[in-house]
Amino acid sequence: MFQKPSPEIALSHKDNHMRPHDDVETIVGPSVHVEGDFSSEGNILVKGIVSGNVRTSKLFTSEKGSKVLASVKAGNSIISGAVKGNVKVDDRLELTASAQVLGDIECGILVVEAGAMIRGKVSMKGVASIEDPNQSKKPSLIRKLKEGEEMPAE
Amino acid sequence: MYVYLYDNFLRGRKFESTIKAIETRLTDFEIAGKIVRLQNFVNPQAIIEEEIKKGAKVIVIVGNDHTFGRVLSQGAVCNILFGFLPVGPENSIANVLGIPEGEAACEVLSQRRKVNLDIGWVSNRNRYFISQLHIPPSDIVVEYDEKFKVVGRNKKMELVVCNLQPFVWNDKNNNLVVHPQDGKLEAFLRPMSGRGIFKDKFEDPSVFPFEEMTVSSDKPFEVEADGKTTKETKIVIKLAKKRIEMIVGKERQF
Repeated sequence: MFQKPSPEIALSHKDNHMRPHDDVETIVGPSVHVEGDFSSEGNILVKGIVSGNVRTSKLFTSEKGSKVLASVKAGNSIISGAVKGNVKVDDRLELTASAQVLGDIECGILVVEAGAMIRGKVSMKGVASIEDPNQSKKPSLIRKLKEGEEMPAE
Repeated sequence: MYVYLYDNFLRGRKFESTIKAIETRLTDFEIAGKIVRLQNFVNPQAIIEEEIKKGAKVIVIVGNDHTFGRVLSQGAVCNILFGFLPVGPENSIANVLGIPEGEAACEVLSQRRKVNLDIGWVSNRNRYFISQLHIPPSDIVVEYDEKFKVVGRNKKMELVVCNLQPFVWNDKNNNLVVHPQDGKLEAFLRPMSGRGIFKDKFEDPSVFPFEEMTVSSDKPFEVEADGKTTKETKIVIKLAKKRIEMIVGKERQF
């Protein structure tokens, strides 16, 4: 009746699970506190508190109620908790209604749900390549005037 | 030369016919060899070293998961090719290695498909562990790869490190699957949320893949590795990459 605690209670072996699994998943549970820089080659799911930089080349997910107290660098990210630090995502960043980001955001694609809070600068890839047509004409105008040509009529 | 290490439980009448069939099949494949019976208090490492001196080239473990863990936790230091013939109940590691039970395993052994396996190493008594390591709920602090530290907010945490067996965490919403031989060991950490009438209550687990981990505590805590229990205040768990050379089946799970 009073069983000795054993891993078999929690972790049961199943023979029918033969599916190959290539993503190593790191999970920070809800009542766990991680201190220090934290990096993984696979997906990271945070439900608790992380006090340190988080780094992954794959998906970073933070659940509602979680806290990350440093910068986040990831391939893709879905944030539902609080992040107090800069967020740098290579591809797609999704902020859900419960997300709170206190820091600068850098990403490729940004999806923000109504209710999400951001306090910081948002910069996205691809914005720099769009040039203002008026600004692009100015250097050529200066060059022509220097050569002693007349100013073209407007 | 093949040396077969038989577990003591195989003396039972129940296994007589299976053992006979295996021995006949091994003779057919011309890989029959010396049989050594493992008594309860015998150190398998000493036996293996002795047989290597006598010219053994392959050590074949005959028995179940417990036999496999018992032999390799001490015998992994020996540089020799290992084989496994699963007989009897509690044979889940054989499934991972792609070795069928009983007589059919002889064919896998004869084919000699060799693979180097990653195993776990634990600092107390300088031992290896094959299937898993378990620390019951204790006031432990876990440090991973000398980079980050994990502390439970409720203090007491249970730790399970999985190695060769794939495990499934049966959660309400999702199933976590841990796979062997992915170049990392997987650690499950469960903080205790309280004590129930029949069993302790736990919170959702944390999972961390790692190569080196230090577990420490002010008070001594229990460490159970492949069935052996000791009390420690600090242990280091490491991944011993490609430590064992093993004959495996075509249907292996890694």
